[in-house]
Amino acid sequence: MKYLPLVLANLRRSPLRSVLTAAAIAFAIALVCLLRSMPGALESILDYAASGSRVVVQNKAGFEYPLPYAYLQKVRALPGVVSAVSWTWYGGVYEVEKGVTFPSFATEPDQIAEVFPDWQLPPEMVESFQRHRDGAIIGRATAKSYGWEVGDRVTLRGDTFPVDLELVIIGIVPHDLSPVMLLQREYFDQALQAIGSGLDFASLFYVRVDDRARLEPLAREIDALFRNSGAQTLTESEKDYFKTMFSALDAFIAITIVVSVLVALCIVFIAANTASLSVRERAGELAVLKSMGFRKRLLFRLLIAEVLVIALVGGAAGALGSFLITLGLHGAATGLMPQLGPLGSFVITRAIAVQGLFLAVFIGMIAGAVPSWGASRRGVAETMRELF
Amino acid sequence: MLPLRYSVRSFWERRSRSALTIAVIALVVLALGLLSGLVTSLQASTRAAGSPKNLIVLRKGATSDGASALPLQAYQTIRFFEGIARGRDGEPLVSPEFLVQPFGATRAGERESVLVRGVESAAFEVHDDIRIVLGRALQPSSGEAIAGRAAASRYLGAEPGGRMALGNASYTVVGVFEADGSALESEIWVDARELANDVKRPSPYSSLRIRLAEGADADALMRRIDSDARFTLASSLESEYYEKQAASAGALYIVVGGLALLAGIGAAFGATNTLYATVQARTREIGTLRALGFSRAAIASSFVLESVLIAFAGFAAGAALAWLAAQIVSAVVGQVPLFGMGSASLISIRVGIVDLAFAFALALAIGVGGALLPALRAARLRPIDALRKG
Repeated sequence: MKYLPLVLANLRRSPLRSVLTAAAIAFAIALVCLLRSMPGALESILDYAASGSRVVVQNKAGFEYPLPYAYLQKVRALPGVVSAVSWTWYGGVYEVEKGVTFPSFATEPDQIAEVFPDWQLPPEMVESFQRHRDGAIIGRATAKSYGWEVGDRVTLRGDTFPVDLELVIIGIVPHDLSPVMLLQREYFDQALQAIGSGLDFASLFYVRVDDRARLEPLAREIDALFRNSGAQTLTESEKDYFKTMFSALDAFIAITIVVSVLVALCIVFIAANTASLSVRERAGELAVLKSMGFRKRLLFRLLIAEVLVIALVGGAAGALGSFLITLGLHGAATGLMPQLGPLGSFVITRAIAVQGLFLAVFIGMIAGAVPSWGASRRGVAETMRELF
Repeated sequence: MLPLRYSVRSFWERRSRSALTIAVIALVVLALGLLSGLVTSLQASTRAAGSPKNLIVLRKGATSDGASALPLQAYQTIRFFEGIARGRDGEPLVSPEFLVQPFGATRAGERESVLVRGVESAAFEVHDDIRIVLGRALQPSSGEAIAGRAAASRYLGAEPGGRMALGNASYTVVGVFEADGSALESEIWVDARELANDVKRPSPYSSLRIRLAEGADADALMRRIDSDARFTLASSLESEYYEKQAASAGALYIVVGGLALLAGIGAAFGATNTLYATVQARTREIGTLRALGFSRAAIASSFVLESVLIAFAGFAAGAALAWLAAQIVSAVVGQVPLFGMGSASLISIRVGIVDLAFAFALALAIGVGGALLPALRAARLRPIDALRKG
């Protein structure tokens, strides 16, 4: 400890270089921390968005394939099913030039609160949704991005269905990650009947199960029930259902990992280079210290301590920086820019920050070890001769 | 002026340190090159799918042909509008198409949404860049399918003679097609009516592709389609449509691009820093050169030249690595499914000149920035002070 002032004084000898090296390490650590938080962010989005007590039923052929509406009653009758609703993709377009900007589905208002207790729909909203034939409820983020409030009238244009629907916003869902607009199935059905078709199918069913442990068996039961029917079903937990949608992001994740590994490698090279430079510059000084009686071991420690201080400062700055970035994203996503949506769920946990610091120390060790070792071992006479 | 040889030999004299700096610059170039290569490959393949000689007609408000539905009457009416080219059989070149994404299986045995396009015979004349490279074209109403080159390598059974289970149906694959590397190569093509029957969608078409007649007034035709009161349609030039799709695909990459930028800046910092330190450590040498009578400008330019040499070597190594990595990915992984335009497209990564341009600029900036300041500063010292230093 008593040598700390010496270490710090050495660092001040070339302040710009020390700061730049620390900054490079800070960048690397911030990047690694952000990337490390990515799987956690995805997982937390899934946990938040998907309840552990729901399964999703869809046509085994794909999302665009219709699920016979009659199946819903059969699913509701199964033992262990608390309640079930159908969702039918409407694909309403609000601004023609932008296309579909939020998902809109038709559903049954009477059971929606039972299937989605985690949305915490106020009873009066549910009651109002049942009463207003043309009513719609919409996720908070989506409502905010359009500045919609309860009572606003919104006209949507169908993209795959040739009907336009006039809707009244009667409730805003207090759930951050659900961008969905839900409208009455009956209203949608009548609009389709008016042009000579009608709705005898759904896109998917949300089924709430009484016992989480029965989720998988029930999913298999539902698929077995319709195995020999016209349309086979594919039933999976809500989390798995969302995971399939997220799997489109696999390539992104792979790319970011490759990039971050390359960058971490870069930083090790850079730090090693800087350390070896600063050691070489001081060869004479080290020889003097040695001839004054400083031991090899102590010199080695002093040199590596220098690199470690830089690494620690850089690591701490990086971890803090990444934390501030996620804080900013979260603030923006829940406040001014709800369209950032999931980007707001990146969270730098204490564990990730500590791992970042450890990585910084590790980089410092690797980078500092070789040159410090070499310098501490070099003979005094030899060095002096080289220098003078 | 200091001789060029001075820079080169100095570079060689410090080869182990130079090698470290080269390695750092090479890694930065590799990362940036690969990333940029990925994005531009995706955009290029999307853009290549559009032709300025074709129109695409969608339902108004639909932004992609996967999310559109057209009534049969719209097709039957528009076919006889003016300004449409005629095919070999004298029929108007209007290709009604139907895009669905049923589940299919990859060769690795995973469930994935597959882009399946239902077509009629006009499709092959309207999309005139389609070439059957293996097997033959599909016959209507016979349960046959052809696979794009990228799709053929990814999906189970997508080779001539194979069978593909898509949605509720199963198709016999009779051929493989190429489309100048465009996004169409990610698709499986089947008979439009068979596909519509399988999905049980009331209207069998999601979009129309129209080949414009030679010298026809495209704007007039588009106005006529868009303003027809019987349908609510929107038409645009196919090239413009895909241009828009490519732009929206790019938006998804902002996150990744942001991270890469952060990485690039960090690494550039470090590389500049090491060069800076290297030059600073040579203060005494600079003093000697000054004492020998070389001008400040001569010394500074010689040092800058040396570090630019290092930067170039790093760039060359990084570019070679990026090219190699792209080749290896293509050979080992094959087509990378990328989420771009509302659906996954299969991309083979290519790293081109354009992708390396930014990396080149960065390497040059590192080289000049890392040497100019410290060299100037050292050269400004009185020779006697510089000689005493270090």
